[in-house]
Amino acid sequence: MRTLRILFAKELNATLTSPIGYTVAAVFLLVLGYTFSLTLFVTKVANLQYIFHQMYVLSILLVPVLTMRTFAEERRAETLELLLTAPVRELSVVLAKYAATLTLVIGIFALTLVYAVILDRYGEPDWGPIYAGYLALSLHASLLVAVGLLMSSVTENQVVAAALSIGTFLMLWFADSVSYLLPPPFDSLAINLSLIGHFKPMVSGSVFLSDIGYFVTATLLALFLTAWGLEQR
Amino acid sequence: MTISPSDVAPQGVLARPADVPAISAVDVSKRYGRVAALDRLTLDVRAGEVFGLLGPNGSGKTTFMRLLAGYLLPSAGRLTVAGLDAVRDSLAVRRRIGYVPESAPLYRQMRVGEFLAFMARLRGLPEATIADAVERVVDRLALGAVVDKSTRALSRGYRQRTALAQALIHDPEILILDEPTNGLDPRQIIEMRQLIRSLAGRHTVLMSSHILSEVEKTSDRVAILLNGRCLGVRTIADTPDLEAWFLSLT
Repeated sequence: MRTLRILFAKELNATLTSPIGYTVAAVFLLVLGYTFSLTLFVTKVANLQYIFHQMYVLSILLVPVLTMRTFAEERRAETLELLLTAPVRELSVVLAKYAATLTLVIGIFALTLVYAVILDRYGEPDWGPIYAGYLALSLHASLLVAVGLLMSSVTENQVVAAALSIGTFLMLWFADSVSYLLPPPFDSLAINLSLIGHFKPMVSGSVFLSDIGYFVTATLLALFLTAWGLEQR
Repeated sequence: MTISPSDVAPQGVLARPADVPAISAVDVSKRYGRVAALDRLTLDVRAGEVFGLLGPNGSGKTTFMRLLAGYLLPSAGRLTVAGLDAVRDSLAVRRRIGYVPESAPLYRQMRVGEFLAFMARLRGLPEATIADAVERVVDRLALGAVVDKSTRALSRGYRQRTALAQALIHDPEILILDEPTNGLDPRQIIEMRQLIRSLAGRHTVLMSSHILSEVEKTSDRVAILLNGRCLGVRTIADTPDLEAWFLSLT
């Protein structure tokens, strides 16, 4: 546990001292601020569903920018050799990087809570879908960060890592579109793999254990594969 | 009177018979598909000696060191470090060694002192002893002038010394140094040689080089590697002409 804490502190420090995190946060909040103002003035409806969908898309594009350096940079700078020859388990290294990056993403999401406060100040929002929406976004971020780490662990090129992550996320997003072309049981498999298929019900306030299970399972699988990959050296 | 960490036995010392080698490789191979980076390598390194691995680039020196350090896993053979199986007891082995990779990698976002403290924590030193351990290696490697500087601002010589300092921070039983004089200027090379010699006895040192004179001036014994195989092992004292022996084997 002490090792995990030490590695987490190092990762968080690396994230907070890099301009990448601040740039991503600035872009994220700028785009969302614009969308929020526009939808609020046009629709005059006190809900955040549109914002949550926008955050879903922006996360797919921006989380890879945060995860791309995690392992690829360590591999390029050869510090991974230093890390993995210390008495440290591979899983600890993976979990520390995952926790630090997820903390940053959740931190950026948390800044958007100001929109909920504004809605509450000037209207009467339904809080159920808002809570469910943030739960969905947290699970979504968890999956994206875990898969992003996996992609970063297979290359020493950060751009390749980001491209692999975005490609994987887009394929997961549109997985259900392929179902029409597939015979049973592959069609239902494709539908169940769909990222948006598990995200959409939650942001409208319907929380199903199957949707939570999808995000948790995919996250654990990606983290396991990353640690396993590091052990196979 | 206070006892500094350097006055006590190295952290990793095991209660084991004196005739057990510090490092033992028996028929160790490392293959990448059909390519053998190491091919049935067999050699022993005695406790307390400076052992040189000599060979051209691509001869398998770095691969062997990475296997010992736990960064790579052998494809075949038996590898023991400090009496422990390097694969089965990998974590315990990593606690007993200090390793400096060839490129002397450092975390660029950290200052030198911060980096050394981080490595000390990672190696499991108790929090109360970290400041003393950092001070000890900073003194020993004359890093006082750069301890508050960012690692990215260091010259090659200081980088190499900082990398060696992190390897010594936990006072390991065995030191593995991959091309420790690589990229250093003549004065720094002499200082590094003296430093490595001063570590002998208290630590077992395994170092690699592709420069004959480096190994000759630093090591007690030397092994010549070529194409992943060990061609021979000799003591430096019994080898008046290392160059002639090297040429006769390669």
